[in-house]
Amino acid sequence: MIWFLKDIDLLTVLLRAATLAFEALLLGGVAYLLAVALPAAASQAVEDFCRRGIRMAALALVVGEVALVTASAALLMSGSDLTLKDVTTTNFFRAYSVSILCAIGLWICARLKSRPATVAMLPLSLLVIAAMVSVSHAAARINYRVPLAILTAAHHLGTAAWLGAMPYLWISLGRAANVDEARRMSQRYSRMALLGAATLISAGVAMAVFYMGTWNAVYTTTYGVMIVAKIYLVLAIATLGAGNWWLVRRLASDPKPLLARLRRVAEAEICLGFAAVLTAASLTAQAPAVDVTAQDRLTSQEIYARMHPVPPRMTSPPLAALAPPISLEAAVKANEFAPVINSDANDNAWSEYNHHWAGLIVLVAGLLALLSRHPTMRWARFWPVTFAGLAVFILLRADPENWPLGPRPFWQSFTAPEIVQHRFGALLIVVFAVFECAVQAGKLKARWASYVFPAMCVLGAATLLTHEHAAKVKEALLAEMSHTPIALLGVSAGCTRWLELRLPKSRMATIAGYLWPLCLALVGLILLNYRESA
Amino acid sequence: MRRKTSIIAPRFVVALIVACGIALIAPRAALAHAILVSSQPAANSTVSGPDVAVLLKYSSRVDLEHSTLTLLDPDGKVEKITINSETSPGSLSAKLTGLVKGGYVLRWQILAMDGHITRGTIPFLVK
Repeated sequence: MIWFLKDIDLLTVLLRAATLAFEALLLGGVAYLLAVALPAAASQAVEDFCRRGIRMAALALVVGEVALVTASAALLMSGSDLTLKDVTTTNFFRAYSVSILCAIGLWICARLKSRPATVAMLPLSLLVIAAMVSVSHAAARINYRVPLAILTAAHHLGTAAWLGAMPYLWISLGRAANVDEARRMSQRYSRMALLGAATLISAGVAMAVFYMGTWNAVYTTTYGVMIVAKIYLVLAIATLGAGNWWLVRRLASDPKPLLARLRRVAEAEICLGFAAVLTAASLTAQAPAVDVTAQDRLTSQEIYARMHPVPPRMTSPPLAALAPPISLEAAVKANEFAPVINSDANDNAWSEYNHHWAGLIVLVAGLLALLSRHPTMRWARFWPVTFAGLAVFILLRADPENWPLGPRPFWQSFTAPEIVQHRFGALLIVVFAVFECAVQAGKLKARWASYVFPAMCVLGAATLLTHEHAAKVKEALLAEMSHTPIALLGVSAGCTRWLELRLPKSRMATIAGYLWPLCLALVGLILLNYRESA
Repeated sequence: MRRKTSIIAPRFVVALIVACGIALIAPRAALAHAILVSSQPAANSTVSGPDVAVLLKYSSRVDLEHSTLTLLDPDGKVEKITINSETSPGSLSAKLTGLVKGGYVLRWQILAMDGHITRGTIPFLVK
């Protein structure tokens, strides 16, 4: 039960992320309808789509928030004698209830289509933001709550107007009655997105200054590492967005191919945009850097000791040398209120060996994918085969205390969140390897099959980012420093492969085609230098 | 321009899979979110009994009504401790009475005002 609740602990953070994403989609839809589609005199098909999108996002937000409140309530009651009635008096329960009611209101307004209903969307959207801000970091601060709440609200608004509205533009362009309508919508969205981006970035910078406190928090705290990840993603979106901004300016000359390209690039922007939104959600699961005490911060020496390049470990200690696994019941009892780490130098060596071999496999896969671009090296296109070995490797060696190497039974071991993540990761790799091999061999000709690889890249990165690390703050941060770049490279690989597949033959598609194998190879190099001790 | 883009077209499903994948990108398990800045008694300290004042200070505002404090005594018995109503935000205080000599573990579970739940333990010794 305790481990099950640890799964819930992880689940609440995932649900918090999902609700942020659905909030951005819902409010982005409202912004797009009110500031782009209606003023641009969009066709009925576009308006209907916007309203349908708003309804779907509202429904998703309601489901996500109901699940989040349920999981949080279970977690709160598990460690106390609080009842369900007590939970209904908490701040989070009230805030999410307001948000759920407003989302239902938005669903109704989107369905009604009347002018008063459309106008009512604006105050309802602002209420959703207010409810979400009341469960943000700002609400829990001891000082400066009001200015931080205002900045958080501005950050949410900017996110909705820029990133949340982007999927609506993407689909609207495909449903526009004519090129002129598509151009009007693109130009209006472009202006709104620029304003949204400026609001998001300026509010984000102001909040970062407050929550970080010092420059060195960037590399001494987990919060800082996640901020850097977010900056990377925002810069990537801004780069693609800037390209689109210029495209919109040129729409008068040759609109049809430019609009097609605009939509393709927007797809990658949407993917990166939601990665940024959800990386932001990960920040809500972290204590702000300014609160982290000196003993829980890394020093430059500690980072260098762990991160400087050393030859990879290609030999493993024997299984018998590992710390003997305790029974599942004993582990549950030991972990009852705070996690217990039970590993020694041999366990670290075992884990490093796993990571280094995985790194070698990924590096080889990346290099083969790069070579396969050359006409004389077509055989290298079967690089996904290498990943099948990786899946078996993870299943056999990632959790030696469980089946098949250890005494804990296969099904019973699923009670540990980390093992669930490892096995889910292994399954993803197998699915990906099979699909991509069939695509490369030309056996699977359906277009959607070729999208499995980019989707899996993003899923794999996501699995990694939800990975639980050591309970010790510094150890967790050191693991974060290698895992976060890998996850960002995974998202980048997914998006660039997507662009290569979706864009018409062009210089941009060619560049994208070289970028994703490089991202894979870089992931391999980072894994080859992964260590669990200095 | 295409006019018949079904909302459940395969590419939309793929996009949805990607979105769900990204939806996992959020977080790692909720680590110490509201950080325990200081505690009285301090972790692994030795204090004089039989009465011990408890004062825990956090980096975030704490919802005292929905936070819990329990004491694990040397016999392994768990007792719920009444939390004092505190005026200072981010603090939690209580009074432990009638403690005998031995090792105790103070367990806290707090609900921060942003809805995050954090747990921790403070082992201490009564001489």
